[in-house]
Amino acid sequence: MFGILYLVFSVFLRFGSDIPHYPVYLLVGTVLWNFFTECTNQGIQSLIQRGDLLRKLSFPKWIVVVSATSTALINLSINLIVVVIFALISGCSVSLLWLLVLPLVAELYFLALGIAFLLGSINVRYRDISSIWEVLTQALFYAVPIIYPLSMVTSTSMVAAKVLMVNPIAQILQDVREVLITDASTTSWELLGVAGLVPVALVVVVFMIGLLVFKHKSRYFAEEL
Amino acid sequence: MSKYAITVTRLSKSFKLPTERSWGLKQAIFNRLKGIKGYEKQEVLKDISFKIEKGEFLGIVGRNGSGKSTLLKLLSGIYTADSGKIKVNGSLVPFIELGVGFNPELTGKENIYLNGAMLGFSNKEMDAMFDEIIDFAELRPFVHQKLKNYSSGMQVRLAFSIAIRAKGDILILDEVLAVGDAAFQEKCNDYFKQMKKNKNQTIILVTHDMENVKKFCSRAILLENGKIIADGKPKKIAEQYLGLF
Repeated sequence: MFGILYLVFSVFLRFGSDIPHYPVYLLVGTVLWNFFTECTNQGIQSLIQRGDLLRKLSFPKWIVVVSATSTALINLSINLIVVVIFALISGCSVSLLWLLVLPLVAELYFLALGIAFLLGSINVRYRDISSIWEVLTQALFYAVPIIYPLSMVTSTSMVAAKVLMVNPIAQILQDVREVLITDASTTSWELLGVAGLVPVALVVVVFMIGLLVFKHKSRYFAEEL
Repeated sequence: MSKYAITVTRLSKSFKLPTERSWGLKQAIFNRLKGIKGYEKQEVLKDISFKIEKGEFLGIVGRNGSGKSTLLKLLSGIYTADSGKIKVNGSLVPFIELGVGFNPELTGKENIYLNGAMLGFSNKEMDAMFDEIIDFAELRPFVHQKLKNYSSGMQVRLAFSIAIRAKGDILILDEVLAVGDAAFQEKCNDYFKQMKKNKNQTIILVTHDMENVKKFCSRAILLENGKIIADGKPKKIAEQYLGLF
């Protein structure tokens, strides 16, 4: 997947020629995006898949969602090792700043977990939520600067770029690239200034809403599954 | 410490039964537009109150659909009540069904620990129970075999042994008596009789077998249409139950 993306967008279309280490830059994008989609999709489906347990045993229901999403977390950590190896081969300079990736990944995880809690608990009653989400993520894929560098957007419209960067996924992605690979990654802080806090606030809000809805709905999971 | 293991006061529970095929958001929106509710309310338990003393062996009997399993699931905390209160005194081990969460790819031993974990026991507690469970199930030679290689009789024996050997203060059993071959059933019978005598565990048993009610229970409740219509000596209740038909 990454190989195809690289060939099409970097070699043929010559995206990101202004960004050093563009292949790694692209790889980080796809790895984090795959983590996000895997996490949310697994999390949303998990309650239905574990319906047999939920109907017959009494235990804290959030465990089901967390265990399903932690599989994605394990996959991510393996993938990140690959990213680091690629970054080293590509000649990125190692620095302590790399450790900042951890809180950023945590932010992404909490966002995914919040969405999984929220949509997963609705999905118990309305089973088409998971398919709707899959379509939505496909659309969202193009709203996040994964396969194209943000500079392509800023050169056309500053407003559009700012709107894009309010998205927490875009903010996390650009931040990870900034600390891991190159300063050429435009972060939301650079673009939005103080308003760069908005994506972080969004993550907190989504997570809290997800948790509250889940807590409320989880009392009735057993009878609706 | 109160002398009651479980106190239930004015418990009610109703379900929303879907009348239409409406398990999608799309359908739900159409229903809303058409003004269809899409479900029907059914009251399963109506204003039930009772107390169970510690050490009692309570039998719950009633027709199919009279609310027995719903009551057990409420007691186990799987369902949430519409109104009313349930006070549980001590640890409660529910067996609504045998072998929930058994994984055929794991060995017998691993499944015992897995099942224990799902019931809320720590590994340490399971260590203490493990020998008893495996001996009761008479499956020691097969402990390290994968569960998928067990015969179905062996699987239920294992599940059943976990159920009755689990060291909870309160044990809930839904139709899970008498599994395995004649010899094993005999053993279970003896064990239940002993439990009735010892009174160190509170047991709630749902069954349709009146012989078992008379043999094991120290008290019985008859449920009909979501209400308790009789409560008392097992013998009397058993007769009343059979009189329903």
